[in-house]
Formats: sequence, C-alpha cells, structure tokens
Amino acid sequence: MIVRHFLLDVNEVNAFVVGCPETKEAMLIDAGAYDDAVAQFLKEQGLTLKTVFITHDHYDHTDGLGEYVTHYSADVIASIPKVQGHKVAKQVKHGDTVRVGNLTGTVYETPGHTPEGVSLAFPGCVFTGDALFAGSVGGTASEADKQRQLDAIRKYIFTLPPETQVHVGHGPSSTVAIESRYNPFFV
Amino acid sequence: MDRETLVQRIRSGECAGAELGAVDLSGCDLSGADLSNTRLSCAKLSGCNLSGANLHHAFLDGANLEDADLSGANLEFAVLAAANLNRANLTGANLQRANLVGTRAHEARFDGAKLYYSRPGNGDFQGASFRDADIQRAIFRRANLANADLRGATGQANFDRANLEGAQQ
Repeated sequence: MIVRHFLLDVNEVNAFVVGCPETKEAMLIDAGAYDDAVAQFLKEQGLTLKTVFITHDHYDHTDGLGEYVTHYSADVIASIPKVQGHKVAKQVKHGDTVRVGNLTGTVYETPGHTPEGVSLAFPGCVFTGDALFAGSVGGTASEADKQRQLDAIRKYIFTLPPETQVHVGHGPSSTVAIESRYNPFFV
Repeated sequence: MDRETLVQRIRSGECAGAELGAVDLSGCDLSGADLSNTRLSCAKLSGCNLSGANLHHAFLDGANLEDADLSGANLEFAVLAAANLNRANLTGANLQRANLVGTRAHEARFDGAKLYYSRPGNGDFQGASFRDADIQRAIFRRANLANADLRGATGQANFDRANLEGAQQ
C-alpha cells in the first residue's frame, strides 16, 4: 500500500495519497488546495487518481476539490451529497467500504468537530480528518459534540489494531497505541 | 540481511520509505542518511549517529534513541511518540510538526531546534535544554519540564497543566 503525506498551503492542512501498488489506482484524502507536489508524486509513481475522499466539509479540506476533479476526472466520495458544488459520486455512511484498486477501506462515523465527519481505515492505517490529532482532538462547538467525538474515537479508532498508523488533518501522524495511551483528552 | 549490509543500504538511500521495524542499529553511523517516510517503530538506535539525517515523516514511535546524535536532523512530521530520547542531542534539529507525545527525553538537548507546531504533550523532558529553540505553537500539554532550560526559547507555546517546577525561562 502506498501512502504519501502532503502539507498543503492552507491552514497547515494535510492531504494524503493512498495508492494500490498492483493496479496503480489512487485516492486523495482531503483536498484543501491544489498542489503541484501531489501531481508530481502521482506522475512519478505512475498512479492514476480515481477518487477524492472528503473527511468533512470544511474549506481547508475541500477548497482544492474542483481542480483535482477537473484535472483527473476523479469521483468524489463523502458523507454528504454535495461538496463545493460537486455532486458526490458515492455518499458513504458508517460501515460502508470504498475501494482503491485492490485495497479496501472502511468508513467510520466520527462526528463532533462537524456533524458529517468520517474517518477512513485501511489495514494498517486510518485517516481521521479533524476528529483526532496527535495528542489532541479537533475543536467542537459544544460539550455534547465533544463527548460524541471522544466516544466515536474510543469506539471506532481506538479499537483498531494498536500499531495502526493514524494520519490526521493537521499536524503529525501517530498510532492507535500512542493516542489511546498518551493523548491527554483520553487519559 | 546482516547488520553491515543493512547499514550500507541505508547509507546509499535504498531504505527510504521502507518498513524496517524494530531493527537493532545501535551505535551505527547513519549520519546524513535518507530515512524519510521510513518505519522504524521500536527500533534500537541508542548511541546512533543520525546527525544531518533526513527522517521527515519517519515513524520512530517507541524507538530507543538514548544518547543518539540527531543534531541538524530533519525530523519534520516525524513520529517520536513514546520514544526514548534520554540524553539525545537534537541541537539545531528540525522538529517542526513532530509528534513527541509521551516521549521521554531526560537531559536531552533541543538547543536551537525548531519545534514549531510540534506535539510534546504528556512527554517527559526533565532537565532537557531548549535554549534558543523555536517553540511557537508547540503543545506541551501535561508535559514534565521540571528543571528544563527554556532560556532564549522563542514563540508562544501551550503549557496547559505542564510541570515547570525548577525550569529556567
């Protein structure tokens, strides 16, 4: 499985390319800005961008979506019907699976930071958007939203295998073992 | 693969992005090596010379880097969570956006290091030196900075519930 991180030029936001080494199909996870480095990486690796997965509908995760859709004719996958005016090709909910070539990812609902927030887990790694950060969590509008978020992370993220890499919307990556043991919001 | 061959491959840049896991390379000279995006979780790297190495977005969680030389290394986005950095030399290292959650770094040297937007929450930095380091937006939430030296450190960091007893600021 190919996973490559990119720091985009908007609000310190991350994006990730997930690629299938066998079929050379790729998915972009979050699209805060169009970045030539993403295009260059895809080209170097011989990857074809088929889909863009949106973890949640905030500008710093979606503003570049139009350019990726235009350049690559990529389908949009999200938990809401439209993102940035683009009709979603596959609207996902908790428990749904998505494919990247021969790879299969599972969608988990992780609301709180936003109502529609979802995470996407592949064997060995999970992409949490702004639900969970290294040593922190995404901001919420109310105590009830915060509890929903913490509960979802405990239930769906912290139950993944401990060595699972956690790739987040802002800041550094982590692992399930590290966050469940040391994240000050949970211990 | 024997240790000598692995060191040669690392030094030639062949291992960047590889899954090396818990290898034992303690005491080896890997200065200037490209280990970007490499998985070295729980690796034994005590006393290793990694000065000037490229460890961008490397996974070093749980690794033993006690007494290692990481001066001038690129550790941007590196995952050093729960690693042992006791007495390690990170002078001038680039630790921007690095994950240092739960890291143990007793008497480690971060002098002149860039820790912008890093995550040292719940880490143990007793007696560590951060002189002239850039700690802008670093999150030291619940970190132990007892007797740490923060003189000359610049930037606004988050010290929410951190232990700063005896720290020099």
